[in-house]
Amino acid sequence: MIEFRHMQKTFGTSTVLKDINATVNEGDSIAIIGPSGTGKSTLMRCLNFLDPPTGGQIFVDGEEITAPGCNINKMRQKMGMVFQSYNLFNHMTVIENIMYAPVKLLGLSRQEAYDRGIALLRQVGLAERALKYPSSLSGGQKQRVAIARTLAMDPEIILFDEPTSALDPTMVGEVEAVIEDLAKSGKTMMIVTHEMRLAKKVSNRVFYMDEGIIYEDGSTEQVFDNPVKDKTRRFVRRLKVLELFVDSRDYDFVGAITDIEQYCFKNRIPDKLCYGIRSVIEELCIAILLPVIPEPKINIVTEYSEKHQSAYITVSYPGSYRPGNTDDRLALQLIDVFSSYQSYDYDEKTGMSTVKIKIFTK
Amino acid sequence: MIKNRQFYARMRSIGVCLALAAVLMLSCSFVFAGGSADEGEAAADMSIEDFSDKTIGVQTGSIFDKMIAEVMPDAKIAYFSTFTDEINALKAKKIDGICGTESTIRELMKQNGDISLTKDSMGEFGTCFLFPKNEKGEVLVGQMDAFITGLEESGELAHLHEVWTGKDESLKVIDDYSSFPADNGTLKFVTEGTFPPYDYFADNELVGYEVDLAVRFCKEYGYGIDLIDMNFDALMPAIQSGKCDFGASGIAATEERKENAYFSVPDYYEQIKIAYLNESSSKGGIIASIKSSFNKTFIQESRYKLFIQGILTTILITVCSVILGTLLGFLLYLWCRRGGFIANKVTAFCVWLVQGLPVIVLLMLLYYVVLGKVSISGMWVSVIGFTLVFAAAVYSMILAGVRAVDDGQTEASYALGFTDRETFFGIILPQAAQHFMPMYKSEIVSLIKATAVVGYIAVQDLTKMGDIVRSRTYEAFFPLVAVAVIYFVISAILTAIVSRITLSVDPEKRSEAKVLKGVKTDD
Repeated sequence: MIEFRHMQKTFGTSTVLKDINATVNEGDSIAIIGPSGTGKSTLMRCLNFLDPPTGGQIFVDGEEITAPGCNINKMRQKMGMVFQSYNLFNHMTVIENIMYAPVKLLGLSRQEAYDRGIALLRQVGLAERALKYPSSLSGGQKQRVAIARTLAMDPEIILFDEPTSALDPTMVGEVEAVIEDLAKSGKTMMIVTHEMRLAKKVSNRVFYMDEGIIYEDGSTEQVFDNPVKDKTRRFVRRLKVLELFVDSRDYDFVGAITDIEQYCFKNRIPDKLCYGIRSVIEELCIAILLPVIPEPKINIVTEYSEKHQSAYITVSYPGSYRPGNTDDRLALQLIDVFSSYQSYDYDEKTGMSTVKIKIFTK
Repeated sequence: MIKNRQFYARMRSIGVCLALAAVLMLSCSFVFAGGSADEGEAAADMSIEDFSDKTIGVQTGSIFDKMIAEVMPDAKIAYFSTFTDEINALKAKKIDGICGTESTIRELMKQNGDISLTKDSMGEFGTCFLFPKNEKGEVLVGQMDAFITGLEESGELAHLHEVWTGKDESLKVIDDYSSFPADNGTLKFVTEGTFPPYDYFADNELVGYEVDLAVRFCKEYGYGIDLIDMNFDALMPAIQSGKCDFGASGIAATEERKENAYFSVPDYYEQIKIAYLNESSSKGGIIASIKSSFNKTFIQESRYKLFIQGILTTILITVCSVILGTLLGFLLYLWCRRGGFIANKVTAFCVWLVQGLPVIVLLMLLYYVVLGKVSISGMWVSVIGFTLVFAAAVYSMILAGVRAVDDGQTEASYALGFTDRETFFGIILPQAAQHFMPMYKSEIVSLIKATAVVGYIAVQDLTKMGDIVRSRTYEAFFPLVAVAVIYFVISAILTAIVSRITLSVDPEKRSEAKVLKGVKTDD
């Protein structure tokens, strides 16, 4: 349906997209992931010419849209776009936002457009807000209206440009639910996102972008579970794994707690488990190890397994101190409460101790 | 510059702050009250000598101060910018006398019974006609010299002066010049009609001694004549540029002025005398004063017609400029919006020029330089000038308004498939309008007030009409306050209209029925 051939995009002197080659088929739901600044959003903005490509070709339904004289406005009608900052028309009510384009561009009667608009609003759960102005809606509601507005044009493909990034965490869920519904209905879509659980849930294909190209292109399972390329593997691992490094006896543990909570939120780790991870790291590293080890160098790696509903914490530090030998019995007891498995290992060669703890909640 | 003219009420209401109106009203009542104060000490028939140690008012730039310094070295001189101010100072007893020409003071005495004139004079000077320094002017000045000399020899000149300074109003008539055959073409005669008995408005027509002479001259030499009224400051440019063929306004020839225009032989030699407060005849209370002022300002000689004419002119200029300026500003914006470098540079330069120039300078440039050779009335030059001013303002405010609309709106519209045009008119402009409408309203109010300067290019707007009436009645404040109040009302009406329009285009003020026009809802 859509084909990129050697597409390039440069802004001034910096080349953001070097050589994009890909084919998007009908029914594909593609999550575009990758580090910041690798041109994920640019790829989509090139596709609908908000940022026209500077080289190569793009074909939509066999027609080359990069050819001079191509009616880009007609092409854009086939591609709906949902923006990070919603961009609802502020001078129109919710229902007018949705009716405006179908009436003006598709020639629908106002009645038809209204009926369709209300149906779409019901679909996103906002029918009662039809006569409100965008300024009176919450961020999540605005984004749902924006999605309805895009759907009203009945596009062949929907492009989501970080649809949940600007939202308050409490509102992410409602928007994700709507996108998930769309994905289930088999709509062709491309979604740029940093939310990996959203990517996993709604996509059946993933583009990992790096170095100005589509670095790895594969099914969702393959890219997330068995990435072919090294860079992809590292990226995906970083998403799943939380690494903390304690390098001072005055370590900012409050900051670390925030990191832990964010990690838990992104990976949808249940609250109880999250509390467990927090408590174990706090007791083991701060209460037991930090005061006694010779050098304040503690490496903490936390990994979560959705399948087993459990988290694995690996703590390594210099010296041969055994946590079980501590006088702080209360701390030990607390660790025991949350963990279902503990192991201790000392490597004489490196002079490093490693503690492994499995945290599990029913 | 030496200026012998003193009797024109040169009130420049440019930028008169309307908030002052209340203060003016108050001052007004003091002035009226002052008029009824009765001291009765000044004796009648004073002579110049009696003022040798007194304070005497003169108009700034006139030759009178030099004359006083020569004749009465001990007298103190107080300078005023308008004659009306001098009268007020005299009535408030801030000064003891006013220096002026005999005919103007006598004219003043007709309106004010408590003012007298010295028996003797300090000196005299001659008032002349002036002509542009070109071939036509040279011919005309020759003809005028011969004409005046002829009248003088026959005694007709003195008789005419008597008629125009006399009390019998029925004799003060001017030939119907519209029916002149104009075999030798039509001449444009320019004057400022705030200077009785020389040039002034009576029964809403331009009349006076010099006007009469000008008309007689044209009849004699087979010309047609157009009478043009213009602010005094603009007379010289009008003559120098050749926009007008000849002019007069009680102007004396000086060496300096002769470099810029031809002067005829004097048509009259004026005696310079001093006016003083004789004794106050009790006029009654403030109410009576206001009644009398109202009567003089509006009722006498049907002067309200002047005001109505002025109001219509002011409204016509304002409304035309607002409509044309809005269109022009909008078109300029459209041209620049997608236009390249040149469109933007050119527009930015023009806007900078128009906004940087004082309006009065812009109007004079347009009238005398840019459109100097085109036969176009000052009225339409004003419309062009203010259209430019308003267009510049509209252009700037649209620019600011559009900038205030988030870029995301454009992107969302493009992404839906709208063209650039559809996006601008359907999405951007309605939102930008919400930002610039308040500015638009205040620009209209500014524009109304700015039009007060059109008197400089021969347009008789409200302010100018107020000046004309003031020059006849010697009322300092009443016409001024009346003009201020009228400006207030005009601004209020125009802004009310714009507010209505603003409200009707404000999307958030629409009713539900309007939002859902043409739609049937289930519930």
